[in-house]
Amino acid sequence: MRSLELTLSRRRVLAGAAGLSFAAAAAGLWSRVRAAPRITITEGNMQPMPIALPDFVGGGLPDPAMARSVTQIITANLQRSGLFAPIDQAAYIEKITNIDQVRFPDWRQINAQALVTGTLSRQPDGRLGARFRLWDVFAAQYLDGKEYSTPPDNWRRIAHLISDAIYERLTGEKGYFDSRVVFIDESGSKERRVKRLAIMDQDGANVRYLTRGDDLVLTPRFSPSSQEITYMSYSQGQPRVYLLNIENGQREVVGNFPNMTFSPRFAPDGQRVIMSLQQGGNANIFLMDLRSKATTRLTDTAAIDTAPSFSPDGSRICFESDRGGRQQIYVMGANGGPAQRISFSDGAYSTPVWSPRGDYIAFTKQAQGRFAIGIMKPDGSGERILTDGYHNEGPTFSPNGRVVMFFRDPGGSAGPSLFTVDVTGRNEQRVPSPSYASDPAWSPLLR
Amino acid sequence: MSTGRTISIGGASTSRRDAWTFGVSIAVHVVVLGWGALTFAARPLTSESAPLPIDIITVSEFTQLTAGSKTAPKAAPPIANALGERKPVDDAAAAVAKTDVHAATDVQATEPTPPKPDKKKSEPQPDLIAEAIKKDLAKAEPKKAEQKSEQKKPDTKAEKKVEAKAEAKPAPKKEQPKFDPRQVEALLDKRTPQRVAATGNVVNSAVGLGVPNASGKELSASERDAFARHLHKCWIAPPGRPNDGKILVPVTIRLKMDRTLAAPPQVEMRATDAYTRALMESTVRAIIACQPYTMFSLPNYESWKELGIDFDPDMFGG
Repeated sequence: MRSLELTLSRRRVLAGAAGLSFAAAAAGLWSRVRAAPRITITEGNMQPMPIALPDFVGGGLPDPAMARSVTQIITANLQRSGLFAPIDQAAYIEKITNIDQVRFPDWRQINAQALVTGTLSRQPDGRLGARFRLWDVFAAQYLDGKEYSTPPDNWRRIAHLISDAIYERLTGEKGYFDSRVVFIDESGSKERRVKRLAIMDQDGANVRYLTRGDDLVLTPRFSPSSQEITYMSYSQGQPRVYLLNIENGQREVVGNFPNMTFSPRFAPDGQRVIMSLQQGGNANIFLMDLRSKATTRLTDTAAIDTAPSFSPDGSRICFESDRGGRQQIYVMGANGGPAQRISFSDGAYSTPVWSPRGDYIAFTKQAQGRFAIGIMKPDGSGERILTDGYHNEGPTFSPNGRVVMFFRDPGGSAGPSLFTVDVTGRNEQRVPSPSYASDPAWSPLLR
Repeated sequence: MSTGRTISIGGASTSRRDAWTFGVSIAVHVVVLGWGALTFAARPLTSESAPLPIDIITVSEFTQLTAGSKTAPKAAPPIANALGERKPVDDAAAAVAKTDVHAATDVQATEPTPPKPDKKKSEPQPDLIAEAIKKDLAKAEPKKAEQKSEQKKPDTKAEKKVEAKAEAKPAPKKEQPKFDPRQVEALLDKRTPQRVAATGNVVNSAVGLGVPNASGKELSASERDAFARHLHKCWIAPPGRPNDGKILVPVTIRLKMDRTLAAPPQVEMRATDAYTRALMESTVRAIIACQPYTMFSLPNYESWKELGIDFDPDMFGG
């Protein structure tokens, strides 16, 4: 019995000693970790990331230059985003023949932080097959890789999808390259300007005209959930809001209102359209259900309330109103009710549009004869002018909320053109278009 | 009665136990109070941190000033140009060779060069004092010789032995350096100062050394600032900062003495979303791309061989 007690006590002593030694070791390790001096890096380089994009390896393609074209589209997409700096191919040391084997020191030597390798080949069924690999050069590790298959005439879309995959993996955000832009194509002299509804890829390629130019069209807006566009047209003498199906070209009038309707925009669910209805000298905001045709009045003031835009969660609506004497931006609930003014600086604010991320509201600001495109937080704070001059108007957000597209009309005999600027205001780019272009609306990502 | 006896016995037992308990209590109290008195005794107030030099301007300002600016106006020509050309001594060994060296040891070691025959110098000038001394010595010597002959007669054998020994081993004549106060100057080391290391391989520039609470292994503020500015150039953070909350990426790095990474950087957090993952990867890329970190001084290796870095992408929001 005694020996048992002794044994137990020894065990306890041993266990206690082991526990103590473990605790001491842990404490020592912790103190060692804690002892290392800590340095905080609060600033970073705002330069774009150097990235190497050697030509895709082609195999059995109908057009041998197609592999290089895919690479060039990806390169242009990434460069236009302002976040990447593709390195000139003349500087490359290694020639890629196997996309799964790369010599990192060769790419490190030209200071490439990321490397994209890929192949484009014709599959037995006649479709195009594309594979790509994304590498972290300095960490010498594989980051991402995907395979795509598509009909040969859709090869540009493969390039946009790969661009999105690279963008998303390196920034942690969704891309915006596989998307389209609907806009007003303007041609002819200033006196006899023909305005047509047109659609193109976000990089300006694949332009397609949706109307013939017989009627004046304005303010097209994409549906967030279907291949539909809502816009305003003077087709029957009276400005009306229309719905247009991009796929089959069918068109219909939204609602049956006695007066002019304008500034339409889809609700986030794609089932409702919010717009302005003229009533005498005033305009108020209405919401219409596209299925039931039920209409709800959201504002009732003796002022011009227009340009409504839903928040991405559908809970709030921002709009412009001159109820305070001058055009300013207001925010109200999705069901109407009291509105809160959020813009207070000098000047007139108009065309507010809520970011798909929900973090900003973009607007046009007119002050001292100049038109600026800016953003502010939904509570009105953090106003930031992204571009300023004459005459900027009509902002629309990219699907990921990082880029704002707008049109700039320099006046005189020249016509408007489309531009993009990122939300930092640092990267402004002109968007190519076949002729003058205005009133852009960015689509969601294609599915 | 039996009950009373029992009580009395029990009372005696209880009182003894009380006394024993009381004694133990006193002993325990004494021990505890004594331990407390020793442990919580007032100590002289000493600063825990090592003394540091205090700059009037901030470190950031100082480093900004010393970093220079491309847009700064051209400075006036340096005054030093008017003072003549500067002759830098690049080769320390050559500097030693050029300078005349008159070390005390060299004076003894150098072999005397044969004097050139000079008739004027070969004819010594008559020294009157020396001649007078010689005459005195000549008079004294015959007397000494007489005295010696008288003393040698009784013990000639012993004298012969001593002389034989002396003849067998003639003592070598060793020239001992004579101290000449007029040549003290030659004892001085006239070499150009060339030492860059006080002791060891490198100079320890820790200013706080030499006091009881000194610590020479702390990263200086200038090194921290230079490190942050260096890393700033390499860090390209992804722009998509989420709106909810602040993200801080803690990374631990270990460096070798050549100021390069001893191991891949360790990110001390897990990615919860795509943005955090991209952010973490950007920090690792920056650390790898930015090496070597030459701003760290070798004597302070212990202070920077392991570093914790917190990357704060706050300004990258958009």
